[in-house]
Amino acid sequence: MTASPSPLRPSALALLVTAVAAGVLCTAAVAAAPSDVRVPLGWFSLFGVLLLSLAAFAVTWLTRSSRLLRGRIAALNADIAARDGHIARLTADAARDTAARTAEAARLAKEHAAELERLKTAHRVELDLVTMTELADRERLGDELRRAESGRAAAMAAAANAAGRMQALATGMLADLREMEHRHADEDVLGDLLHLDHRTAQAGRLADSIAVLTGARSGRRWAKPIVMESILRGAMGRIGGYQRVRLHSTSDAAVAGHGAEGVMHALAELLDNAANFSPPTAEVHVYVEEVPAGIVITVEDSGLVMSEVQLRRAEQAVAGESLDLAGLSGTRLGLAVVGRLARKHGLTVSFRPSARGGTGALMMLPHELISRTPAEAGPAPALVAAPAGAAGARTGEPGADHGPGPRGGAAGSGGAGRAKDRTRSPQDDAPDAAPTASGARPGPADGDPRTGDTGLPQRRRGRTLAAAHPEGPEAAARAARTQGAPTGASQSAARFGSFRQAVRGASAQQPTNPPYPEGNTR
Amino acid sequence: MSRTRPGRDDSPDRLYTLTGGRSSSGSDAFDLVTLVVAECDPVPGMQSEHTAILRMCQYPTAVVEIAADLGLPVSIVRILLADLLGTGRISARHPRSAYRLPDPDILEQVLVGLRNL
Repeated sequence: MTASPSPLRPSALALLVTAVAAGVLCTAAVAAAPSDVRVPLGWFSLFGVLLLSLAAFAVTWLTRSSRLLRGRIAALNADIAARDGHIARLTADAARDTAARTAEAARLAKEHAAELERLKTAHRVELDLVTMTELADRERLGDELRRAESGRAAAMAAAANAAGRMQALATGMLADLREMEHRHADEDVLGDLLHLDHRTAQAGRLADSIAVLTGARSGRRWAKPIVMESILRGAMGRIGGYQRVRLHSTSDAAVAGHGAEGVMHALAELLDNAANFSPPTAEVHVYVEEVPAGIVITVEDSGLVMSEVQLRRAEQAVAGESLDLAGLSGTRLGLAVVGRLARKHGLTVSFRPSARGGTGALMMLPHELISRTPAEAGPAPALVAAPAGAAGARTGEPGADHGPGPRGGAAGSGGAGRAKDRTRSPQDDAPDAAPTASGARPGPADGDPRTGDTGLPQRRRGRTLAAAHPEGPEAAARAARTQGAPTGASQSAARFGSFRQAVRGASAQQPTNPPYPEGNTR
Repeated sequence: MSRTRPGRDDSPDRLYTLTGGRSSSGSDAFDLVTLVVAECDPVPGMQSEHTAILRMCQYPTAVVEIAADLGLPVSIVRILLADLLGTGRISARHPRSAYRLPDPDILEQVLVGLRNL
């Protein structure tokens, strides 16, 4: 079939064979036929041969074509069957694959679900664990915080307590030293005592600083206003380089007792700063200026010039805005202390470059801290009683026409009251304070001194003051200032009298005897 | 003065601040009975003790009396007086060396008489 794809050649061959055979037969027939029929016979036989050939060709052609087509049909059928089979196989494969895939997907989904569940559980467990840990941590931290807080509070309290005790010790020691300074006339001993005094004052300042920082009570409370000069000297006495401090003050104002210690302490810290940050030989100058808003104390050194940043930092430190101790450095307590004190007493502290080349610190005392009256009483608190006593007697003498009785009764109590104020020292909660005052009350009226066991006159506390100037120390001092001193003999007599009265039965430590005759002979 | 109570201290002034840290006057111009006379009036700006001394010594006053009045140790007062003497604000006079104390009997009688005033 495929060997003869076209039926043309066999058809042509059949045509040729038929034509040759029929031609031969026809030729023979024609040759055998009589000559008269030869020509028509020739024509008919030719025509017949042609027809026969054509028929043979057509038959062969058709046979061959049909055989060819049958073959192709069979081939196509087989092909179709094969394709059908293939398709069926593919379909089956696909179905199998699908099934397999579905199964796989189901399995995976199950696995995924299981994994998810497991993870969820694990996560929950983990979360619980973490939460619990966190809670425990938080609790622990809270505990630690509380412990730290209470530890801090305890430490602060302990420090405050220790500082308070050191303050008390220092104060007591200063008083003892003053006592000894009065007792020992030897200059060498006095020099040593003054040295110790100075050291103790510095130690006291440190204790004060710690007390201020730990929020303890400030060390001393002065019952009376302290004049400015004493404030300045009290402040400079507490620093190491006090000999380099020069005071320039003509102010007669006084600082109220409740604020005096704070002002002195703050000023001491500023002075200490100024002295520490200037050359060891440079002087530190202190000026006092009264302004409408109060009093400005300026501390000027000629040491290091503070930069803008340092100035700002210092201002911040003394602003006293934060009360925590976190920003403290171990060695620089001064400005923090100043800040605390400034906040407590309403002081205003600022810094600026000084005209002397260094830094100037300005501290302004508000009016609330300033009182003026007691400044009239005497040049310095330490001097109040004695000079006033002498002066009081001086003025008392010319008016001696009225007897001592009524005057002593009326004014004596006033004098005694003042004496009480004056002699009461800040921490003086001792029960003997009140008896002292009342004991002084009878004053000049009862002339008999009490005699003790030894038979010697015994001085009662507070009595001398009241006795020496019955009209009171302030009045006496005022009078002394306004009135010129009386002349000669009367004045001497008055002084002698008051002095004698005042020291009658006085303690032996006061060397009072020699000058009397001198006074009389003038 | 109220310094008789132990452990009490009524003045913030430390004694070394009065003298600038000196404990010795370096002069023997003053003993306890030297008489001191002010030569001028106090001027503003002076140390308050100097002012007090000048005011007190308008008439001759003994050193020990000044010390008692100021309530300061005699040694300290000597230093203050030496300062004033150095600047010529006071003059010092020693009492007659031949001076003899009166008979104690007389003194006692004077005392009694004064008490009876």
